[in-house]
Amino acid sequence: MLQGAIAGLAIGGVYAIIAVSMTLMAQLVRVINFSQAAIGMFGAFVSAYLASERVPVPLAIAIGLVVGVAVSVLIGLILARWLPESSISARSAVTVASLLLLVSMSYILFGTRPMNFRAIVSGTAFEVGGVVVSQVTVLMVSLAIVVAAGSQLLLKKTKIGTQLRAISDRPIAAEMLGIPVRMLTLGVWAFSGLVVTVVIMVVAPTQTADAISLSMLVISASAAALLGAFKRLDLALVGGLLLGIIQGAAAQFSALTLIRDWIPLVLIVLFLLWNQRKEVWDEAR
Amino acid sequence: MRSKKSLMKGLVVATAAAMVLSGCASGGGSESTADGEPIVVSSVNALSGAGTFPEASEAAQAVFDEYNANGGLNGQPIEYNVFDDKGDPATASQVAREAVENGSVALVGSASAIDCEVNHAFYEDSEILSIQGTGVDPYCFTTPNISPTNTGPYVDTELSLTYGSEVLGLEKICGLLAIAGSTRDAYQGAIDTWSEATGNELVMLDDTLTYETADYTPYVVKIKEAGCDAVYGNMIEPGIVGLLNAAEAQGLDVTFLLLTSGYSEQLAQQVTFTGQGVYTAAEFTPFTDESVSGNEDWAALMDEYGIAKTAFAQGGYLAAMHFIEVLEGIDGDITRESVTEALRGMTTPIESTMTGTPWIFGDGDSHGSNTAGWPVAIMPGETTWSAVADDWIYASGTEQ
Repeated sequence: MLQGAIAGLAIGGVYAIIAVSMTLMAQLVRVINFSQAAIGMFGAFVSAYLASERVPVPLAIAIGLVVGVAVSVLIGLILARWLPESSISARSAVTVASLLLLVSMSYILFGTRPMNFRAIVSGTAFEVGGVVVSQVTVLMVSLAIVVAAGSQLLLKKTKIGTQLRAISDRPIAAEMLGIPVRMLTLGVWAFSGLVVTVVIMVVAPTQTADAISLSMLVISASAAALLGAFKRLDLALVGGLLLGIIQGAAAQFSALTLIRDWIPLVLIVLFLLWNQRKEVWDEAR
Repeated sequence: MRSKKSLMKGLVVATAAAMVLSGCASGGGSESTADGEPIVVSSVNALSGAGTFPEASEAAQAVFDEYNANGGLNGQPIEYNVFDDKGDPATASQVAREAVENGSVALVGSASAIDCEVNHAFYEDSEILSIQGTGVDPYCFTTPNISPTNTGPYVDTELSLTYGSEVLGLEKICGLLAIAGSTRDAYQGAIDTWSEATGNELVMLDDTLTYETADYTPYVVKIKEAGCDAVYGNMIEPGIVGLLNAAEAQGLDVTFLLLTSGYSEQLAQQVTFTGQGVYTAAEFTPFTDESVSGNEDWAALMDEYGIAKTAFAQGGYLAAMHFIEVLEGIDGDITRESVTEALRGMTTPIESTMTGTPWIFGDGDSHGSNTAGWPVAIMPGETTWSAVADDWIYASGTEQ
């Protein structure tokens, strides 16, 4: 069970990074980006495809990253151009459309079969008391912590962070004060596109890499982000890692294997119940 | 009026687009010198969805194209219609009806995980026979109207496990099964046959895998905790890669006993980790090892048509070749009735250098003439499958 829990940390790290990225976007550009993982999938698929066509691997990776960033920025541009003042739900709905678009684009361009990835990182990192920790686990967990802590520092301690927070609180006032709103907003999209593409590139070779299962990582990541109510980066980080650990441990019991995919949903429900525990009837509705 | 017209126009465009997208194009082939009335043949295949087997029908198509280019059957070309069941029972049932209604005299080279189970009763009602290129579900091997060219995953399970326990001397084998449809009992039957013949038991059998399983880490961890020295699994290519990747990450350094579904050049080049060796019993003569002969004609045709060399391609090729041989023995018109009669009336099996046992349709209520496998493996550090035995191994009960 302990081994299962530790093994689950790798995918937990993936959830955590996507959750942190989703929380950032929810806070800074007012969108729950459901196509987050799909953007990474698409970028990663482009590089795997290029690598299979004998493009040198470093170049293929670079192009994949550029594509991931470009797709993300493009979705950001669409939202900024046509739905700047819309509600967060309307803006988020657009990302559901882009999720479906990216999945079907990958079907058309790369076929429906899982993509063949050569692992960038693979193998065992170290072993403690018979429990194996893989290199992917180490990388994912550290990356998750770096992204979460880095974002937190950037937002709280730097001028750009202050400007970003100003944009999210009062976009029009911020623009009037001469803050480059458009640039910074797209910068957030570019950053999140880059981060998820890197993550998917690392994690895809460790599993069967088909468009749907990679894109749907966003479901578990949403559950993790919900732990921090799409507001707190630290809780999104913890939520992601915790979810991976619980899923990994649960998979070790035959009785729980088949329901381990329910765990994100169960956690979401539990969280909502906990969150509203002090609400009186009328207000909670 | 105007809007109605543009609506119509839109509909036409949408329909055309849908037809292109759904790959409506069927059959046909290279320039044929046969211009007589075509002999219609069809196949039902998993071409899209979670597990796909496209090479069988591609190989059969190549055989027929070649046959037509050489004049067909006394000037009658073979028109081959390939249908996609999308791994979905409703679609499989629908395309089988299309295949039968388009005037097919037989089904040849089908490769699908569900075709036999979904459609065997319909084929019996329609009095049409199927020479399956890749039979997967148990009904391919246990019903009167279907005779596959391949060994199938159940006999292959027995062969792979027997080789592992008896030749490699593996004592603690764990099993991982992806169960589609009603295949569970058939796998269990094969495992039981192995147990009875060798006195071995699986240490653990986890059947919660699916063909969609993406992350194999939990399974690998479970196998590690069970302390197994080998893993037997029935996954297909992408799943095998997933399993080996997870095994590498978790340091699971064991022997892998797989089925023919993983036997392809592509897989051998793709995997970076093979533990103590990745073994399978090839259902047809191994094509990746130059020391083994028997595949020359097939390999040349596959190269000519640019078809991936896999066991599925061997099965589809053989199905088409056997069909042509039976076709050429028929006196009179080629109709569904005459083809059915000829296949059912077979008393002499067709020998092939590509299988360990000869193929026959015949009169029985069930068919499964291929009961041999050739042990092959990707050894650690290698990027190709090599033959690890110099002859076939046979399932228990095979007459040799």
